[in-house]
Amino acid sequence: MATVPKTEQDAAQPGARAKVLRPALGKARGSTWGAVRKSWQAYALLSPIFILLIVFGYYPPILGLVRAFYRWRPGLPATFVGLENFTSYFSYAVTPQELLNITKLLFFGLFVGVFVPFVMAELIFFVRSQAIKEFYRLLVIIPMLVPGIVTILLWQKMYDPQLGPINDLLRALGLDGLARNWLGEPATALYAIMFVGFPWVWGVGTLIYLGGLGQISKSVYEAAALDGCTGIGRVYRIDLPLVLGQVRLLAILAVIGAITSFQNVLVLTDGGPGFATMVPGLSMYHSAFRGQQFGYSSAIGLMLFIVAMSGTILINRSIRPTNEEVTR
Amino acid sequence: MNQTITRRRPWQPAQVGLHLTILILLLLSLIPTYLMLLLSFKNGLQYRWERWSISLPLRGSNYGASWQVIDAFMWNTLLVAVVGLAGVLLLSLIGGYVFARMRFPLREPLYYAIISLLMVPWVLSFIPAYMLYNNLGLLNTRWALIIPNLAGGPIFGIFLMRTFITGIPEELFESARCDGAGVWSLIRHIALPLSLPGLATLAVLNFIESWNSFLWPLVTISDASLQVISVGLFKLSRITNDGVDFGAGGPLYAGYVLASIPLVILFFALGKFYVEGLMESGIKM
Repeated sequence: MATVPKTEQDAAQPGARAKVLRPALGKARGSTWGAVRKSWQAYALLSPIFILLIVFGYYPPILGLVRAFYRWRPGLPATFVGLENFTSYFSYAVTPQELLNITKLLFFGLFVGVFVPFVMAELIFFVRSQAIKEFYRLLVIIPMLVPGIVTILLWQKMYDPQLGPINDLLRALGLDGLARNWLGEPATALYAIMFVGFPWVWGVGTLIYLGGLGQISKSVYEAAALDGCTGIGRVYRIDLPLVLGQVRLLAILAVIGAITSFQNVLVLTDGGPGFATMVPGLSMYHSAFRGQQFGYSSAIGLMLFIVAMSGTILINRSIRPTNEEVTR
Repeated sequence: MNQTITRRRPWQPAQVGLHLTILILLLLSLIPTYLMLLLSFKNGLQYRWERWSISLPLRGSNYGASWQVIDAFMWNTLLVAVVGLAGVLLLSLIGGYVFARMRFPLREPLYYAIISLLMVPWVLSFIPAYMLYNNLGLLNTRWALIIPNLAGGPIFGIFLMRTFITGIPEELFESARCDGAGVWSLIRHIALPLSLPGLATLAVLNFIESWNSFLWPLVTISDASLQVISVGLFKLSRITNDGVDFGAGGPLYAGYVLASIPLVILFFALGKFYVEGLMESGIKM
């Protein structure tokens, strides 16, 4: 690459001045093919990433889309079965429980992923001292310094019926009657999974909001203060409308996360006790890696994709950020 | 915000309440971390009888015992994360440069073809990707851990690096080109040094993701000597629960602490870029 003649290179990547001349040059040569040939260097530079993406980026989801309609097991030829995988999922006795659980987790995910970080960001934003504000901004990251799996395993210990701090605390307060096997009883297991991470201080979401709040221009606040719009009223009437872009981003992340993730459930209860905490994602995992039903599993994956995608589109349509005029 | 008002009233109940609320929330979220540090210094008896307070002597030997079991997991994760990260940074820098600074037919369609993959949740690819790696004979090799990062990391990376490199003044590239600089030289001497904050943000995000990856190694790696730290700790925690003693807990918690150290180091080295990168990401998207 280094031995390329200079003229060739210059033509391949014209600068700002050449941009003006470009249309004229293109017409003179009169062919797109000429432009493609001149641009070989750009294509050569992009080829490694595209080779990787075609094999490992585009191919798997397309394969999943197709194989959702097949009976597919490792080492056996795949056979087309139409909608059988989908109908068998919906006639499976545990499916209503899974759908109920994922609905609860979805609403809870929106609360934890959209609302809580907003509150945290506002609290930090209201701090007057600039230095302390920056310090808090670093502190919200600390819970993320522990690997995700360790956090989940630590919470499993928190819930331990005999040796866990939650039951220890209840017994110390004389509330022995409330102490229970939180993850082991059908009535509490799903809520115990939701409670993991309490009070759900999430550095990523908080910082995304703080970035948006920092963009709001001082003059807006000064005008609002003159009109007597301060405190909670300001949060509701000024801050919130001006961070709708961030709300939208976090809502999309929350919906995709709630629909597709099952790591917490897998580690904490594996869907139990019984099927009390089963979710579709875990069903997908079980049917592939314990049942060897990869077609059926792909069908669940496809349905989760469609639901997550619809949620994304719905949020994109319904939350419209205010125009940029009032931001800096 | 309102500096003038602050100076007139140095002590405000509202501000004190604010600080207290923030600190209480932060303290509550650190309870599991406190638990982890506390238990990592206890032996079986201390664990049984003095669970929630510091009990002497501190069993520092838990850390040595733990390291002997998890060192391979730690090195495996580090190797896979660093090799993957190097590739991701290189591919993102090159891709970002090409899309920001070169003009060629189909530039925008190709760019959106890459970015659109950000919209495909991993859940659709998880099962078929496993089968693909199975058919290619990549299961239970380090490639099964490195390739997903190499193919997945640059998707967001190219998006990020393109914005950064677009922000570099064109005159810099133009004058270097007049001096006869080639593409590699433009990337190395202009794009690379001037987009270091972007690369640092990308590096932090990517490393955290690699260090935390759990489900994919859980299904693709069966050989314990190739396993990564998250899955290793998960399996060790199960052994403890079944009563086969990994030191009645102590060393297990020491392992949790050890597994956090790379993230802590990364945070102290590059935390600033991480915080700034996140604050900007919401504005750009």
